[in-house]
Amino acid sequence: MALILSSVHLVTGLPLAIDWSLFFAELVNGLTLGSIYALIALGYTMVYGILKLLNFAHGDVYMVGAFIGFFVLQWLGGPLTPAVTGWLAVSIMFAVAMVGCGFLGVGIERFAYRPLRNAPRIAPLISALGVSIFLQNSALLLWGPEFRDYDTFDLIGIKTYNIGANFFISNVQILTIAASIGLMLLLALLVSRTRAGKAMRATSFDREAAEMMGISVDRVVSFTFFVGSALAAAGGVMFGIVFGQIFSLMGFFAGLKGFTAAVVGGIGSIPGAMLGGLLIGLTESFATGYLPGGATYANLYVFALLIAMFLIRPSGLLGSPAIQKV
Amino acid sequence: MPLLELKDISKAFGGLKVVDRLNFHVDEGEIVSVIGPNGAGKTTVFNLITGIFHPDSGEIVFEGRNVAGLAPHRITKRGIARTFQTLRLFLNMSVLENVMAAQYGQTHSTSFEAMLRLPRARREEREIRKVAQDKLAFFGQRLAGYRHDQMAYSLSYANRRRLEIARAMATGARMLLLDEPAAGMNPNETLEITELIGKLRDEAGYTILVIEHDMHVVEGISDRVIALDHGVKIAEGSFDEVATHPLVIEAYLGARAAPEAEAV
Amino acid sequence: MSEQLGDTGIPAGVPAVPGGVDHPRVGVDEWVASHEGRREAQKGVTGALYRAWDRIPAWGHLVILLGPFAIFPFVANEGNLFRYGLITILYALLAMGLNVVVGFAGLLDLGYVAFFGFGAYLYGIMASGHSGHHLQAEIAIPIATVVTALVGLLLGLTSWRLLGDYLAIVTLFFLQAFVIFVNNANGGPSDFSYPFVGKVDITGGANGLDQIDPFNLFGYHISTTKQYYFFTLISLAAVMILLYFVNESRTGRAWRALREDPLAAEVMSVPVNRLKLLAFMFGAAIAGYTGTIYGAVQSGAFPGDYDVGLLITIYAIVILGGLGSIGGVVIGALVVNGAPELLRSSENARFLFYGVLLLALFVALRPWYRPVIVLLGTIAFGFVVHAIVGAAWSRGTAGHIDGGGKVGRALEHWVLLPTHVNRIAGWAYFALICAALVLTLIHGWWRTLALIPTLYLVAFVWENELVQQVSGATRLILLGALLVVIMNVRPAGIFGTSRVEIV
Repeated sequence: MALILSSVHLVTGLPLAIDWSLFFAELVNGLTLGSIYALIALGYTMVYGILKLLNFAHGDVYMVGAFIGFFVLQWLGGPLTPAVTGWLAVSIMFAVAMVGCGFLGVGIERFAYRPLRNAPRIAPLISALGVSIFLQNSALLLWGPEFRDYDTFDLIGIKTYNIGANFFISNVQILTIAASIGLMLLLALLVSRTRAGKAMRATSFDREAAEMMGISVDRVVSFTFFVGSALAAAGGVMFGIVFGQIFSLMGFFAGLKGFTAAVVGGIGSIPGAMLGGLLIGLTESFATGYLPGGATYANLYVFALLIAMFLIRPSGLLGSPAIQKV
Repeated sequence: MPLLELKDISKAFGGLKVVDRLNFHVDEGEIVSVIGPNGAGKTTVFNLITGIFHPDSGEIVFEGRNVAGLAPHRITKRGIARTFQTLRLFLNMSVLENVMAAQYGQTHSTSFEAMLRLPRARREEREIRKVAQDKLAFFGQRLAGYRHDQMAYSLSYANRRRLEIARAMATGARMLLLDEPAAGMNPNETLEITELIGKLRDEAGYTILVIEHDMHVVEGISDRVIALDHGVKIAEGSFDEVATHPLVIEAYLGARAAPEAEAV
Repeated sequence: MSEQLGDTGIPAGVPAVPGGVDHPRVGVDEWVASHEGRREAQKGVTGALYRAWDRIPAWGHLVILLGPFAIFPFVANEGNLFRYGLITILYALLAMGLNVVVGFAGLLDLGYVAFFGFGAYLYGIMASGHSGHHLQAEIAIPIATVVTALVGLLLGLTSWRLLGDYLAIVTLFFLQAFVIFVNNANGGPSDFSYPFVGKVDITGGANGLDQIDPFNLFGYHISTTKQYYFFTLISLAAVMILLYFVNESRTGRAWRALREDPLAAEVMSVPVNRLKLLAFMFGAAIAGYTGTIYGAVQSGAFPGDYDVGLLITIYAIVILGGLGSIGGVVIGALVVNGAPELLRSSENARFLFYGVLLLALFVALRPWYRPVIVLLGTIAFGFVVHAIVGAAWSRGTAGHIDGGGKVGRALEHWVLLPTHVNRIAGWAYFALICAALVLTLIHGWWRTLALIPTLYLVAFVWENELVQQVSGATRLILLGALLVVIMNVRPAGIFGTSRVEIV
């Protein structure tokens, strides 16, 4: 046993004894990050389920959400001298970002994707690429490449709780994880219990049939984009609160990882997106902490996870294998 | 030895058994029709034979060798070609190109040779073109010379069906699987297709397995008829034998119709 | 029935139309068959141009497209030759490879520029002051090309069973992996430690692999811009010719069949997966080859060059030219590279911008009096607004236009130039996007009228915001918008044929 452990240690550099405190910290960090990725993944998976479209611009909607939150905070007076109490300010930030990005998503769909609904598959993909680049560089143009700081510490105060002597978790991390779970539950309720949700499910099964049953596909699609974008915006604001800094190009990698999460969990499956998000977040976190290369190569480990998933189980963890009628 | 033999073929999707221990054979030079109500598994059988699906169990023996589990393009090279129930032409390619493309498996020149215009590439290109024109000529005026450079999407429905058959012929196959070749055709066109299928066997020597719903066509062309229902073979024999078989009538018209039919 | 039809397709007994060959034999099979072609033929000047183009044989296309490039070095100075000439040809060459993957075979490869980088770095490893090796070009270039093709093969293996969308993401990730790798593989603290050799400086990390040797081809040194220019131009011609032959061969047909319907192609004896790999290898090989040239030209390989921005640029070239069209790539490269280069200096940029605006106006609006009305209306509108704002709020018009000469002076009286621009500019940009989108929704005279304030807004945003960032963000903004617009308006690009798709 000792021989195996030491050879593992020699080859991979993994530590011999487990530092539980670090483990817990990475776990919490992974869950927090994963919750944010899950929110992004939900948008991807819903849109893919209905339109079979990879919305490359989704990550940039997330970025815009983070920036809207930042500017709302400035407008309210800034983190040090907010016009309203800290928590109320945060709520307003969420609300404005979510609604604003909801409309942004609807607008993107209306102008960049809807005209291409019956075009060859590659057309909306290219269009999505174009929108993504457009958004990224518009943000770069208007807001510059500098990092903007949410200054959460000044705004609502970061309290760290400890469980036992060695395990720490902060209130904003709890907030993020809880809020994500809450939003996902809300979404699940929406999809399964409401008429709008039923329309969404019908449309994702068979678009033509749904249209013939009287469902306005255009409206369902717009609604889906609204909800998905609002969730992404929530994720963006959460990122700003927990991790403090936002910047114009943050949407690119977050979007990629959000998509990976959606695929890993099973594209088209809402619980899958949540599961996938957490998995990706944990992978990134633990890879940073434990695997060789650390933070620089963390994205590559996520990449490796994606490749592994494609090879082993292409439909994802919770997805159903697609059967093509020939 | 039969040209094609299915031995105990089964296929299930999830919990649904689509084909259940199916056995039948096709001898060389025969025209065999497969009939059955919708959902009987007929197209699935075609998909299994051509390698689009792999059977869960059983063997598909063609010319003495088992082809079950091979990739589709290999099966086609062995000598089995098909058409599709819902046409699947290469719409943005010309008529001639559609037929030329199907000869890929019959030719061997590499892209390297093509780049440098080496003799083998040029020779094969001429041969491919000739074979394509020959196959298209089989259809007479319908796909005559002036049509060759037209895009496939501009063809009429009946011509598209003919093109798909021409394309299947160009693969060099010995056996053609035609999936509802007369679907959507008017009586005149249906008559043409019936004659064409006979011509394919008599003049070109193909062995043909046909899925068809139009009983006039089935009656007109078949040496033998196989009836399927829910993935199981329920009758086999000449057209008259199968058409009056109680199980077949029950499958199409329902149980109560069967004793009434017997009384007729 | 078929026996009764004679050679002409007319049933026997039906009289031919009197008058002979000049009258269309309406209803006869042949006439009906040609009707489709006539219906689709474009009208007007563009239609005539396309038809003339189709009549010219393939080598004529080559001469027409590349001829101007051959003459260019004799009329341009060094700087222009480099920026407008060499870079354009390099991009065209790079886009040729992407055209094989995306245009011929229909695979969405979003990691393509990684192969470009591979080629540059591999050449640098074999022939640079940094690495200490100095292989001659005739050895190093083929090695780099072949190795890159093999890497393309490996990446292509991931496409074995992937749906197009997933392939896109995997290849995009591959590009990120490449960038991260070359950024860190300098033997420094963040690098891997390899078995036997420990930490090795392979790529020079974030500073890049510098001091790459100029080409030494069988003893002939290529080091001036002109020499590289002709070398690259000849390479481009060669690649175009080779690809043309491949496209006409069974491989090209198989790729097209695969692009149309992979399942049907597979059943028609086309080994789909093998052909996808072949497409990947072709693309990677071309990219790798181009990479070696780029590395030598830049005398170095730097991680920042091989990013998503370049990827979008190359995609824009291929799409603008028309997916699958070899000649279209050259035109695409001219437009996509030439235009932003022209935009780099503010004066040129200004002329180009307003020039293109005017041109677009006159091309898009028919009949002739509509654009004239819009133009005059916008000018009048501008002066009125300028006067009102100038009277009401002096800081709104106090700014200056730098370096515009006489045009600049005139513009100062027309466009609003507030002194503290930043916040207003952001809202103006946002307003402009909304206005542009609304314009697509309304039609007729309302649209013509709405164009007037929109154009004024465009000028405002341009002068205050975009003109400053021309080389960086603006270029990509325009490219992104271009991609969306092309897909919506003319997905086939300039030379592509409009495709019919059954969903």
